[in-house]
Amino acid sequence: MRAVIRNGIGIFTPQGFLDGNQGTSFLSVEDIELTAKLNVDMILVSLKKVVFFNRNGLDPFVKMFLKVRLAHHTIVGFCDYDSKKFDAICKFYKNNLTFSLFNTEETATLFALSYKNKNKNILLFNDDKSQRAAMAIELHDNGHNPIIAQTKEEFLAKSANKDAYDVIIQDTYLGHMGHKIASRVTGNAIIYTVSSFLDAEIGNSFNITYHNNSLNVGFRLFIFDAYKVVSMNVHALNFFSKLSSSAAEYNATICFVGMTFEKTPQTFKETLEDAGIMFYEQMDDILLNKELLAELGASSAATVKNKRVINKGTVTELPNFIDATVATIEMMTNSKAIKESVQITSIQVANKTDKIASSIGFYGDMDGMIILVFPKEIAKKSCELLIGDTTDDTELILDTLAELVNIVGGKIKTLLSDHNIHVDITLPRTYPDIESLLEITQDRKGVQVDLSFDNDKFLFFLTR
Amino acid sequence: MITQEKIDFYINKIPPAPIILRETIILLNAGDLNKAAKVAQKDPALNAYLKNLVNKPIFGFKSEVHEMSQIFGILGISGSQQAVYNYMITLLSPAKWHLFKLKASTFYELQAKLSKRWIDILKHLNINDKDTQSAITLLPASIIVSEALFCDAKEDVNLLRSVHSLDFNTILMRLCHVDLFDICQLIASKWEMPEKISLILQASSGIKPQQDEQINTLGKWMHLLLFYELSQPLFIEAGLNDFIDFQIEYVSDIYEDFAQLMDIA
Repeated sequence: MRAVIRNGIGIFTPQGFLDGNQGTSFLSVEDIELTAKLNVDMILVSLKKVVFFNRNGLDPFVKMFLKVRLAHHTIVGFCDYDSKKFDAICKFYKNNLTFSLFNTEETATLFALSYKNKNKNILLFNDDKSQRAAMAIELHDNGHNPIIAQTKEEFLAKSANKDAYDVIIQDTYLGHMGHKIASRVTGNAIIYTVSSFLDAEIGNSFNITYHNNSLNVGFRLFIFDAYKVVSMNVHALNFFSKLSSSAAEYNATICFVGMTFEKTPQTFKETLEDAGIMFYEQMDDILLNKELLAELGASSAATVKNKRVINKGTVTELPNFIDATVATIEMMTNSKAIKESVQITSIQVANKTDKIASSIGFYGDMDGMIILVFPKEIAKKSCELLIGDTTDDTELILDTLAELVNIVGGKIKTLLSDHNIHVDITLPRTYPDIESLLEITQDRKGVQVDLSFDNDKFLFFLTR
Repeated sequence: MITQEKIDFYINKIPPAPIILRETIILLNAGDLNKAAKVAQKDPALNAYLKNLVNKPIFGFKSEVHEMSQIFGILGISGSQQAVYNYMITLLSPAKWHLFKLKASTFYELQAKLSKRWIDILKHLNINDKDTQSAITLLPASIIVSEALFCDAKEDVNLLRSVHSLDFNTILMRLCHVDLFDICQLIASKWEMPEKISLILQASSGIKPQQDEQINTLGKWMHLLLFYELSQPLFIEAGLNDFIDFQIEYVSDIYEDFAQLMDIA
């Protein structure tokens, strides 16, 4: 079974009955491992479509959860159930509840490090006092405003006023949390979340390949969410200093947010500042300040130190890239594509109005970046299959477009692996207009393929 | 990926029901079991299928049944019609499955289990009607239709489903505004199956409740029965568990009754 990845959470959704040893038929350790490798914060099994389960049915999942949590420091558990199911699970695993339980997927996203919508007013209740506290701390750390009901009566009274809260949490349990270095994209900045003690282990847990490729595809602002960091030692200090030096080669900026130096020598802060790292107290100090964002590089790509050109290896595989893209858009729109022209050039967009774009990087045996420029109408049509309805909501279209480009990336990965070329893909990035795209590409050369779908012009650009 | 033209092409290439099968059904409708068995005897593939079906453990016969007249005699008119329709549906199945990890024997197993349990359900509901009993035979046709329409787009569907929770029925509906159950209904109509069969099947989709209360109730039982079977390891491993969306709320009012009948504890 495959997981659906949303907001940094990989969710498996079995349907029907879980009453015997079907667990391993639904889900193998390999399925979960594959999902864990996609840098998710959580791996959950949804019980939304399960009409009946017993302990025998859940045990295989629980065993797999344990293995995956130990190997990947990922939050694991079940979600999407009603009170009756919650009580049953608590009864089955009374003294051994090592996994987490989230009553809805929405509740789970509030605890996921990758979730970008903060500042939710959340009413929460749990019979267990320590659980109430743990949830409140996690939610607060994730930028929300938790309101704890101390008794069931208080909870019922408060929850009657539904409009007062964005989310109401009950029937939820926090098992062992993950605390891995998660990354998420907010606007055009990448945010890494670090916590507890930063030591030599940071070199292992930080995905440097992912970071370098994010630099390569045009991300210029990297923020370390360090609210939960207790202290930092000299090994971590050296790591971040080097990271900042390498970022400087791309004119990129590294910031720390929420880091206190109560248990870390103040001289470390000075050393990091000398290396070019900037410190802010609150995330909003950066994200809500558009001028600062622009200055730090999140909305404009400064000149890349080493401009790279498209090479023979990439051009040789061009048909694969185009096939993957065309097949995906054809699949989503149910219309045929006609290739109109191919040229090596810097990106040329004839009519810049009513167009949006998306890009995705790939790295491994070969590296590069694919840019897709859509007329808004094609983008809307392409997204209809995923959304299930027509929409004019640009943000929703951009989010869905990111999913679509992820599909293109996944298809390219498969096609290349058929040729024994192994690549990984970065997070997709979207651009609400052509100007913001051109800031990234500047005069970078690449292969431009102009295509038309039912007479709508669509542009494919492959560069490095 | 899938277009209306592709669906039309698929429907058009389905041949009419073979003459022997049509004759057998007509004789069963006339209540002449002996003559029906004699006509059915002329089709060796039908013979082999029916022998295999009734000798499966789920039917619980103590000794092996060989003769066509014996098979028809044991199954009775309703059971024989159900068995013949089951065979007709297998004529649509591919020689080799690509989308689902199925083989002929696994598919026959699913047909047998659904059919026998459907008979138990109808007994429980005190319904004795041969067309209602045969309605279950059309349900696995939705799996065959999914295979036929989506097998060339397997990788695309997998990628699509990795970013969005979409079942085959929803994808088809969003692309072509027609669903698997509509296509099964077209097949049933082409094969002149009684209309009631199609109506129950549409209700069993879980997303198209019918006006007729009894048909609607039968649709709920069938929907839940399908997912009861698709929760078995054999069919989960075949990739069938999520080929359509399980509508848990649709079956909520019959669940307790179903659980009791199936002895689920």
